[in-house]
Order: sequence, then structure tokens, then C-alpha cells
Amino acid sequence: MSATTRTVVDSAEQEVTVPPPRRSWPRRLLLAVLVVGTLALPLALDSGELAVFVQVALSACVVVGISLLMGYAGQVSLGQAVFYGVGGYTAALLSMYGAPTLVGLLAAPLVAATIAVLLGLPLLRLRGHHLAFATIAVHMMFLVLVTQSDLLGGSTGLQGIPLLSVADREISTNLGHAYLAWAVLALVVIIALNTVRSRPGRALRALAGSETAAASSGIPVGRYKLTVFALSAAFAGAAGGVYAFYIGFLSPGMFPVTMSITYVVMAVVGGLGSVWGAVAGTALVTVGVHFLTLWGTAEGMPDYAPSVFSYAVYGIALVVTVLFLPHGVVPALRRLRFRRARSCEGKVKRGCSPGSRR
Amino acid sequence: MIEFFTHVLSGVAVGCGFALVGSGLVAVYRVTGVVNFAQGMFAVVGGLCASTFLAAGLWHGVAELSAVAVAGAVGALTWALALGKPGTSAMNALIVTLAVGFLGYAVLVSVFGDTPRSSTGLAGMTSVFGVPVRTHHLLVIGVTAVVFILLWLFLTRTYLGKALTACATNPYAARVIGIPVARMALFAFVLGGILGGLAGVLLIPLRPMSFNSDVSLIVHGFAAAILGGLTRPMVALAGGVMLGVVESLVAGYANPAYQTMVALMVMLVVMVWHAARRPTLHQEVTV
Amino acid sequence: MITVEDLVVHHGSATALNGVSLTVRHGELVALVGPNGAGKSTLVDTLSGVLRPTSGRVHIEGSLAHVPEGRQLFADLTVEDNLRLGAWRSRELDPTHVYEVLPALHDLRHRRAGSLSGGQQQMVAVGRALMARPDVIAVDELSLGLAPIVVDDLIRHLIALNGERGTAVLLIEQNARLAFEVCSRAYVLEAGEVAAEGDCAELAQSSKVARAYLGGSVDAP
Repeated sequence: MSATTRTVVDSAEQEVTVPPPRRSWPRRLLLAVLVVGTLALPLALDSGELAVFVQVALSACVVVGISLLMGYAGQVSLGQAVFYGVGGYTAALLSMYGAPTLVGLLAAPLVAATIAVLLGLPLLRLRGHHLAFATIAVHMMFLVLVTQSDLLGGSTGLQGIPLLSVADREISTNLGHAYLAWAVLALVVIIALNTVRSRPGRALRALAGSETAAASSGIPVGRYKLTVFALSAAFAGAAGGVYAFYIGFLSPGMFPVTMSITYVVMAVVGGLGSVWGAVAGTALVTVGVHFLTLWGTAEGMPDYAPSVFSYAVYGIALVVTVLFLPHGVVPALRRLRFRRARSCEGKVKRGCSPGSRR
Repeated sequence: MIEFFTHVLSGVAVGCGFALVGSGLVAVYRVTGVVNFAQGMFAVVGGLCASTFLAAGLWHGVAELSAVAVAGAVGALTWALALGKPGTSAMNALIVTLAVGFLGYAVLVSVFGDTPRSSTGLAGMTSVFGVPVRTHHLLVIGVTAVVFILLWLFLTRTYLGKALTACATNPYAARVIGIPVARMALFAFVLGGILGGLAGVLLIPLRPMSFNSDVSLIVHGFAAAILGGLTRPMVALAGGVMLGVVESLVAGYANPAYQTMVALMVMLVVMVWHAARRPTLHQEVTV
Repeated sequence: MITVEDLVVHHGSATALNGVSLTVRHGELVALVGPNGAGKSTLVDTLSGVLRPTSGRVHIEGSLAHVPEGRQLFADLTVEDNLRLGAWRSRELDPTHVYEVLPALHDLRHRRAGSLSGGQQQMVAVGRALMARPDVIAVDELSLGLAPIVVDDLIRHLIALNGERGTAVLLIEQNARLAFEVCSRAYVLEAGEVAAEGDCAELAQSSKVARAYLGGSVDAP
């Protein structure tokens, strides 16, 4: 960091995480390889691995939302699993009461987003650790309310959720759910990328840098924050909807408070504010946890080993990222490549994690 | 009527535990500007260690004090991770304390397993003005009262306590006159560990604890402390006791399932109200 | 007393000081003047150890105390507590020797520091620095926001201190006229570099310095 160039306080200049060369052919090729690879991969996986594959897609939907929320709107949410749960219960309830399952799936993100707007109106006035604790409180309240609700099956939950049918064809196999989950993730990524590249997206980047500066330059800070919050809830809700059909039953015990925090871990590891980083961070952490859990269930291991290993992965991944790769894995790699290509450290230095802000 | 007072007294006792967790948050936040998410874990460490030490045949008193000492050491470790690297911002430090929570889970599960544990505490019942009370409730209230008096004396009457206050009110000036702010932060984290550990040691006979009891404890501690803006230990005491009593009454006369809702609602309302009155409240986070 | 050689200090990526050298000798009164943002406060903060230099050498013989810009008292504590905290390094907690130099503080000792007037606060800040019995005291923007009569009083105390105890003084001032009146030598800091140095009298004769910092009146026919 020997560059003495002063950082330009211009929102557009700071978009490190948005790929600057848009339509270059290596980028297209990479995207094509990724798409083909993703489509081909499930064919080669066994059922246990396929479950992880589905889980990565579903979690990534939530994490993309958190990454936008933290990286672009500068807001921490430690209650994002609530929207995942809301989406799941919405889809499950509607289809169990006779609505077409596809309607249930479509309603999941809408209901989640609506609840996010209602919660966000009072809560998004809070910032920093206040918002962090407020969202944890929301998560705990959600658990109490679901447990007390007869409609939602109380602590035993909802059993016998029907399978999702699209155009009269039921999605019943793990493979089918894998493609469904990744299709939803693709949609989430496209929407997120478009949001990031839009004018409001650039304004939001400024917002994460300094809310006061953004407000004084005429950006409707409150409305944009609420929009991102609702969008992130919709992403989580959609994933929760798919999850409900995939798993077939729901109970409050499936949405512990730590679940919300693990999403934050994935977002931080991938790099806040980076859409691709969110996907990569989720994959990295989820797959890492999976393999260590497998090792933990091996013979001779104590029966608590799997949970110990997964907690350790979350803890270590988070500490190492925050302390040594404060911008996350993907932006760090991108920066490395960037630095080789041309030495414009002055611009790159300004990162996207909340920690890099003053 | 007697039933009512029994509920109130047991609420005060549990609330004292919340207050100790909350004052640990305050101790760390005042000096460092960091909200230590691992504070609830300190209490769990204290509680589980105490119950294990007692089960291993250690004497009462020795077991509890050793458990508190372990919690203090965990506080020091948390400091090392959260603030050991110079230049870590308060928000990043909060995120690291989340990670410390996960690491704590990993260690706690491998040491203590994942089933809830309890310990006997002080056995028997005592009568206070005709109201039957568990003797352990009185012990909790008594110890908490002594701890808060000592804490108050320490912060307002001793040189070191004033230096801690100095770091809290003006860290720049503290540096200028040579107070080692980093070491004071370490001290605050150890103090937080001790206060949290005490909460755990006192609470575990009242409510069984497992590794993940920390979430409920930290949220209650935060709710107690936020009433005083996270900077006033005495307000955290009042807040904790109030939460404990209201929750105990809700559990006794309404539905026990809704008792934690009280703390959660209080916390949300206080924060939103603060934010509406002082829109710049958040700025202290970014330091 | 103070020897600074080729000091470079960065604020993030911005260079605040770019190769500054400066000396203050035993019992000397030295002024450091320059416009806002020249790096004056950065220099003192580096001397007192609040900031770390990127490169260069700072050598301080004996002890240095720093009266920071804007007083920076502990507003919630009493005057006496503020003073006693000033003795963190020396651990000589009795403030009597400071009351001898600044008797007004004795009457204020039980007042909350935040409740005092600007001039009183500045006096507490000086007193707090004196608690450690420093060999050299660096006073940052003593006059800022204070009435001239209050400033004169504080300056008199500093000069007396210098005369009686031989305490060297580094006076950091935007008000160059005041600094030149008090001190024997001065450094002019501009954009992180020493633009001029020398005897105050000589510097005042230099048309450039005079025009920039003394309102140009010295130059006038």
C-alpha cells in the first residue's frame, strides 16, 4: 500500500466488487464453463453430496441478500433466517390448504418481503450493534410465535407438505430439487447483479460508505435501505419456499438463531457487497462444514465431533477472514489479479466490508 | 399474595444474573466501544465449569471462584482475538466476537457435551417476612448486591477505575497522557469475563445451562444494559432486575412461553425510541 | 531535549509529515507555526506516542507532556481526578506541586471538568500535563477559542514555569504573532514540511513569513 493517491470519494469509483470489464470474452467463457459445470455437477454426485449441493444454492440465496444488505446498505442483520422460515411456512401453508404449489412458491418471497418492510420501517432506523441485536430479537420472537401458533403446528411443526408441481409435473427427486434450487439462485444472482449495477445500486454503495454523505447528496437513504432489506428478505423467502417443498416438513427447531449467524459468516467470508463472493463464500463454508462433518462421523470419533467441527469451521473462517482478508475471499482474489493487470491500488484499497469504513 | 412475592423474589434473583451479564457488556463497551457478543458465552463457561468442578468433588467456594477465573481467562482470549490486532474497527470486533461465540460452542461441546447441566446451589428454603424463598435466590441477590457495590466503588473511587472511565470518555486524551489503552481494553474484557462468569455460576442452579444458552443470556444482558445506553452499570442492574421480575410474573400468571418476549420487546422499544430521539445514536459504534 | 530527524507520518494513505527535522534544547521556548492542516498536531501526536511514524527518528531526552488541541479533558471526572490521571506515567499522584504553579486550580479541584469555562479547562489541561513533572511540555493551540486576556494569563504561567523550573516549551500555534512574541526560535510548517526555521526575530523580518503569518504589517514601510 505504498500508493499515495488519495482515495476518490466518489460512489462509482468504489465499486471494486463489480467486475469492471463487462463483456470481455474470457469472462463470458468463464460464465459458460460455470453454468455448464453447475448443470453437470449434480449428475456426478451421490445423494449425500446432492443434499449439500441443494443446501449451497438455498443458503446462497440468503447470503446474496445479506451481502447486499451489509455491503451496500451498511446494515447488519442477524435474523435473516427468519425470512427463510417465513418463506418456508408460507409455501407450506398455502399448498397444504389447497392452493397450487407454484402459487405457494411465488407467495413465499412476497410474504417475506412484506414482513421485511413492516419490520424495517421501525428497525432500520437503528444501526451497527443496535440493529444486530434488534434482528436477533426478531429471530427469537419468530421462534416463540411459531412455537405458540397452532396454525403453524407449534413446536412439532408442519408435516406432509406436498411436492412442488410445475406444469403438471411433480418435482420429486433430489436431482429435480437441485436444479430448482440452482434456478432460483440464478434468478437471485441476476436480480442482485442488476440491482448492484443500477443507478440506485451505485447510490447504495455510497450509502454503505457514509450515510450522512449519501443523505446530503439527495439520495433517499431510508427508502433504499428498506428496498434492499425487502429484496434480501425476498431472496431468503424464495429459498425457504423451495426448502419447504424439498424437505417436506417444517418445525421451529430447524431455524435456530445460530443459523442466521452462519449466513453472516458466509457473507463475510465471500466478501460483503460482492454477489459472486456471496455464492463462493457459501459454497466454501458449506462444503468445508460438510467434509469436516463427514470426518467427524467417521469411526472412532466421539459423537459430538460433527457439531464441534462445524462450529469450529464457522468460528475459524470468520476470524481468519475478518482479521486477514477483511474484504473477503473473492474480492481478495480479484484484487490480486487486478494488481497484476494494472497497479491502481489507490482505487482498490477502498474496500467494501463495514470494517473498512470510518 | 404470597405467591406474588415468591414470583417477584425469584424474578429479582434471575434478573440479577441478567444484570451481571449486562454489566459485563457495559464494562467492555465503555472502554472499547465494542459490543461483546461472546459475553453470554462467558456466563455459560462460568456455569458449566462450576457444575463440573462441583461434580468432581471440589469444595463449594473454590469451585465457583475457579469457574469465575476461567471465565475471566476466556475474556482475555476474546480480547486477543477481537482487539489484539491493532486497527480493528468496533464493527469488525463485534463480528469477531460472533466468531468467538462459535469457537466457544466448539470447545464447550467437546468439553461438556451438548446436554444441559445444572448444579445444586444453596439448598433449602428460607422465609422472608413470611414469604418462602429458595435460599439460593437470596444468595444470588446478596452476591450481586456486593458485586455491584464493589464495581461502583472501583469505578468511582480507585485510580484504575477512573483511568478506565477516562479511556471510555476520551480515548484520545487517555493516549496523550500515556494510559495504555490497549491494556485497559484487555482489563475490561477480563472484567467482563469475571462478571459474566459470576452470572453463570449464580444462575446455573436456577436454570440448567447448555452450550447454547448464551444467546438468551446475551440478549437479556443487552436488553438490561441498553436502558443505560450500554455505559451505565447501575442502570444495567435496575434493567436486569426489572426484566427478571416482569418475566417471572409473565411466566407465573400468563404463559411461560412468552416470558422472553418481554425482554425482546423492551429492548426493541428502547432502541427505536432512542433512535427516534437521537438519530446520531449509532455514531458511537463506528468510532 | 527533543530531536526529530527526517520524520515521515502517514494518515492512511495521505502523507501528513514528509521529512520533518526539528530540535528543542534544554529550557528553550520554541514555536511551531503554520496553517491549518500543515501537520502541526500530527507532529505533537507523534512526539507523545499517540501516532506512529512511518520512518524517521524521534528522540526525547527526559519526559515530554502534551497539552492536546481542544483541551481534551475527561469531562465526567473532577478537576483533581483529571490532574491525577496526568500522573499515569510518573505515579506521583499528589497534585500540590501543580497547585503551586496554577493556584486557581486548587479552588476548582472538586468541580466537574466538563462544567468549566474554556479558559479554566485549558488551565486544567496544562495542569494535567504538568503532573508528570515534564522536562518539556508541548502545548497544541493554546489560544484557540480563548479571550486574549485569558491567553495572556496562561502564557505568563508557561513563561514562569520555563523560568523557574527550566521546563522547555514547544508552542504550537496558528497565531504566529503570539508565538513569536513568546518564543526565541520558531519552525514554520507547511504541507508536512519545514518551510522556514530560525530566530523568531529574524523570521519576523523575512517578508514571506511575515506576509503569510503576521498579516504583512512588519513588511510595510
